Amino acid sequence: MPQKTIDFGKYGARGIKGSEAVARKLDELAGGITTPVTARRGLMARLHYLTRTAHARKAAHDAGLTVTDRTLTAWLGGKRRPSKANLERIERAYRSVRRQNVARHLLRRLNSSGGTRVEIHPLNQSQVPRPLQRVVEYRTMNVRRWDRIVAAWAAGDDQGLDDAWTDTIVDLGSQWGQYEYVTNVGFAA
Amino acid sequence: MADFDAIDSLLAAVGPEAALPAPGVRRELRERARLSKAQVARALGVSPSTVAGWEDAREPSGEIRTRYAYLLDGLAAKFEAGAEPESAPEPEKAPAATAVSPDPGQEDSGEGDDVESLAVPEPCVLCGRPAGSRVAGFAQHLDPADCQAVTRAVSAPAPPASGAAEAPARQEDAPRSARPSGRSQGPARRAFQEPSGPADLIGEAVRSALAEHQGDVEAATAALLKRAIPDAMRLLDETRKGARYDIVAHPWIPGILKKQTSRGADQIWEARPKWTRGQLPPGRHEVTALDINGAYLSALKTHLPLGQLEHSAGLAHDRRRAGVHLITPPAWEHEDVLPNPIGRRDEPGPLWVTEPTLRLLLRLSGPKYGLCAPPEIHESYTSGATENLLEKFRVALKDARDAAIAAGDEITLEYVKAMYSKFVSTMGESNYNRELYRPDWMHIIRSQAFANLWMKALKAHDEGLTVVRAMGTDELHVIGDWRRVFAEGRGVTEVKVKDAYAAAAGTGEEE
Repeated sequence: MPQKTIDFGKYGARGIKGSEAVARKLDELAGGITTPVTARRGLMARLHYLTRTAHARKAAHDAGLTVTDRTLTAWLGGKRRPSKANLERIERAYRSVRRQNVARHLLRRLNSSGGTRVEIHPLNQSQVPRPLQRVVEYRTMNVRRWDRIVAAWAAGDDQGLDDAWTDTIVDLGSQWGQYEYVTNVGFAA
Repeated sequence: MADFDAIDSLLAAVGPEAALPAPGVRRELRERARLSKAQVARALGVSPSTVAGWEDAREPSGEIRTRYAYLLDGLAAKFEAGAEPESAPEPEKAPAATAVSPDPGQEDSGEGDDVESLAVPEPCVLCGRPAGSRVAGFAQHLDPADCQAVTRAVSAPAPPASGAAEAPARQEDAPRSARPSGRSQGPARRAFQEPSGPADLIGEAVRSALAEHQGDVEAATAALLKRAIPDAMRLLDETRKGARYDIVAHPWIPGILKKQTSRGADQIWEARPKWTRGQLPPGRHEVTALDINGAYLSALKTHLPLGQLEHSAGLAHDRRRAGVHLITPPAWEHEDVLPNPIGRRDEPGPLWVTEPTLRLLLRLSGPKYGLCAPPEIHESYTSGATENLLEKFRVALKDARDAAIAAGDEITLEYVKAMYSKFVSTMGESNYNRELYRPDWMHIIRSQAFANLWMKALKAHDEGLTVVRAMGTDELHVIGDWRRVFAEGRGVTEVKVKDAYAAAAGTGEEE
């Protein structure tokens, strides 16, 4: 698409990809365990979440937590502690299982009553030389269908999420390219 | 012949001058009729500032004076007959009884009538829906079929045809008519505009809840309290229709405004007063605990940042912006008689305060009060601000509250209270209200309530009362004849007595 930004930040603009901001917001809405995995409390909470049912165990396995049941039992009993690499794996598996579990519910809320109003806060131009600054306004839009966005987010598919989000913001009109990078995307579910 | 006419008119003009009421009464008459100066001026053929002058001190003379006296006489007569203000239209406005909107053909042929077509539709004075034409200064539909007010029109006579000379008596249920000087927020500032404020959402909600629960007051109240938050958001949306600024509900929030843990607090200091006088004056005293009515409701009028907060460092305070500031508070030397305006702070050093606290400190350090040194501002997160963002919302709630108090309507009172208090407490990071995510507003509104209480304490102190205690948002304990300082009642500008107790010096304890 020709409106896409080629070399973002060349003149000092600051911001993040709109899709990344959406993923952050969805993560925030999904909630979850806030204690870090490095703390015993956080680790145990995650392990319980990932091993509570056979279904959860399978999802954790699919999400990359490919340790044996024996190891999991040892971790849960507190006889052993996971290595640093395994802690990271647990965290990642927890994130993705949580996303998958919450996605259906979140999608229903986002799609309900005619969609959700989204606020798009434009990129930060304070470091851009004055002659190169452009007027980029705060915009709002209503997103009716969230299916593709939430599906890509739940699958952890960054590229898919970016594509889905770009297709959405095209509705902003011919200026949509200015909103590829943003400081924040705000919405509620 | 013309010469003689001129002489005749000169002779007629020489005579006793028409008597006019006092300037203040002139203004009152005009405002009661909800006529603007411009309308009166147009009818009399003078400029609005001339009318303003007449209402201030100046006296019209000559023929204009006679016409002005005629107008004022007419208005006075109207209000004296005010027992049946709506049902007594002028006799020549014959169609008023059937009271559909004016017939275009008739109106056009009538003399002194000006039908303008409007480029931008304005709300029709009869039905409130956009109309494309204006007759004698009133936007309205020319075709009765377009106008939805036919059923209502029986109580609302058709507007007068001849400009502003006679006004229909004001709508009895106009909620905002009590603020003649307030600027209306709509696009046009016409005296006759149908109040464009929110429809009676609060009254409707209460009525429907009562109907649903077959008049069971307790069940209806419980149901209303349950839906107070979404209803408040709906009312907010309704009051922001056509307003200048959007409500930005989900801006980026700086780290200082985020909760550190799920149950922890963020870094903002709201300056909640929690102060008890160290030493009472000698002797025994009657202490009265006063309660400020609707403290959070009044605090909705405060400088709220509109958009995303932007960081700045080392700048002086900008009155047109609002937000949170990292300041080093000044030393407070009046702790024995007045609470510290930044509240009970145990730790020294800089702290993050909100706009109302900073403004209070700046005000107190100014030449008028000179109570402390100015605070030192290190860093700020601010955005362009306005005081009017929640103004219509506040006025709608206040009007509903006043009406409920006057009518002894406890359900509406509880409902309104739940609406504004829950609105304030959930507008931050709460899961109960996900439509609005403004922890900065929440802190600012609370701080405003505390600052208001502080100013009340100062007022009491200045008027010679002994302030004994200032607590929370709305509690002020004083010794002395407080009735000459504060009005007693249930309105938001009044106070009510919570408690009265005796205290003696030395102990400082209540007995």
